[in-house]
Amino acid sequence: MQATYARWLDVATRVGFVISLAAFLVYVSGVAEPFVPLEQLPRLWSLSAAQYAAATGSPTGWGWLGMLGKADYLNLAAVALFGIVTLACYARIVPLLFAEGERLQAFIALAQVLVLAAAAAGFFTGGR
Amino acid sequence: MEVAAATPWWVWPIALAAVGFLIGVVAVLAGIGGGVLFVPIVGSFFPFHLDFVRGAGLLFALAGTLAAGPQLLRSGMASLRLVMPLGLAGSICSVAGAIVGLNMAADLLQTLLGVLVIAIAVVIWRTRSSEGGIVDPDSLARLLKLEGKFLDPAAGTRIDWKTHRTLWGFVAFGAIGFLGGVFGLGAGFANVPALNLLMAAPLKVAVGSSALIISIINSSAAWVYIHRGAVLPLLVVPAILGVMLGSRLGARLLATVPAHVVRWLVIAAMLAAGTRALLRGTGLWI
Repeated sequence: MQATYARWLDVATRVGFVISLAAFLVYVSGVAEPFVPLEQLPRLWSLSAAQYAAATGSPTGWGWLGMLGKADYLNLAAVALFGIVTLACYARIVPLLFAEGERLQAFIALAQVLVLAAAAAGFFTGGR
Repeated sequence: MEVAAATPWWVWPIALAAVGFLIGVVAVLAGIGGGVLFVPIVGSFFPFHLDFVRGAGLLFALAGTLAAGPQLLRSGMASLRLVMPLGLAGSICSVAGAIVGLNMAADLLQTLLGVLVIAIAVVIWRTRSSEGGIVDPDSLARLLKLEGKFLDPAAGTRIDWKTHRTLWGFVAFGAIGFLGGVFGLGAGFANVPALNLLMAAPLKVAVGSSALIISIINSSAAWVYIHRGAVLPLLVVPAILGVMLGSRLGARLLATVPAHVVRWLVIAAMLAAGTRALLRGTGLWI
């Protein structure tokens, strides 16, 4: 089970790094147009996240998924892949743990999958 | 801030990559997670709002620990069986911490960050390690089978280990996860003593498992920051690339640089960054 987790972690992390680097090069090279021009960022990144979103009209929640044609949101999607790696690895070992008769560990892993999936789905983003 | 706003945008990613590189070198040499250095240093000396610094800090620590995870698991230095229940407690609390952190006023957050970072520097200064040993596991540890074995290549011996004080372990990792979510820190500085001194895991297992726990805790908190628009890729990717290269150099220097020199360097850097955050948060030095 630990070896399987390590293998999935290894592959997923390598893929994440390659995609992040490629998306970043697209972003800073100007190959694709960003939603917020790079030149404007130094005047915007001293604002809070809420003020930044209001000033630029940037989406929150999963709204950015509809803007993958913009270089900055393509890059955000690539970075967000790192947030999915652990979820994918845990989802892979849940059936293995059940098959090995490790029911308590399997339920813990399943609970972790649910917490990560709920966080990724945006269930915990309420507030300001 | 006027000067910072007038500086060309491309200067900042280069500066972040350089800082990430230096943190990568020092973090490996000092045996701490780089995330605990990133937020106080970048939050105190760069022009970015603390929301974006904490979002970047979480992903910075996440990427580093994800990269280290496979080797730690294969060598047996990280135990998934030990990590799973503690990581679950930490990740639930980290989500709560991230929500609290994103709803706090920046000045208050900066002040608390300063206090916390100075406290962490003192903890690093005072902490001693324990090689663990055979302890009598409590009933919860037995139920969760929090035990294992690993081959220590340095000593050439096989070490069988068990843990105890499991309930306190859950409390500790809940608190660590909460603080990590609020401040966007990796929490290796606290994970290792909690696993080693509190639960009696051998030091190498504590260090290895700590990295894996950070990857789990930060995964859930990172999503809160992503959904709230507190992640700017222009800050995240250069820092990640810098720390990856710096970590490689740090690993090479490990055999030649005296550990106590690096340890004092880290403590000095954290005291400076913590003091700066405190002064900035209280309005004494903007």
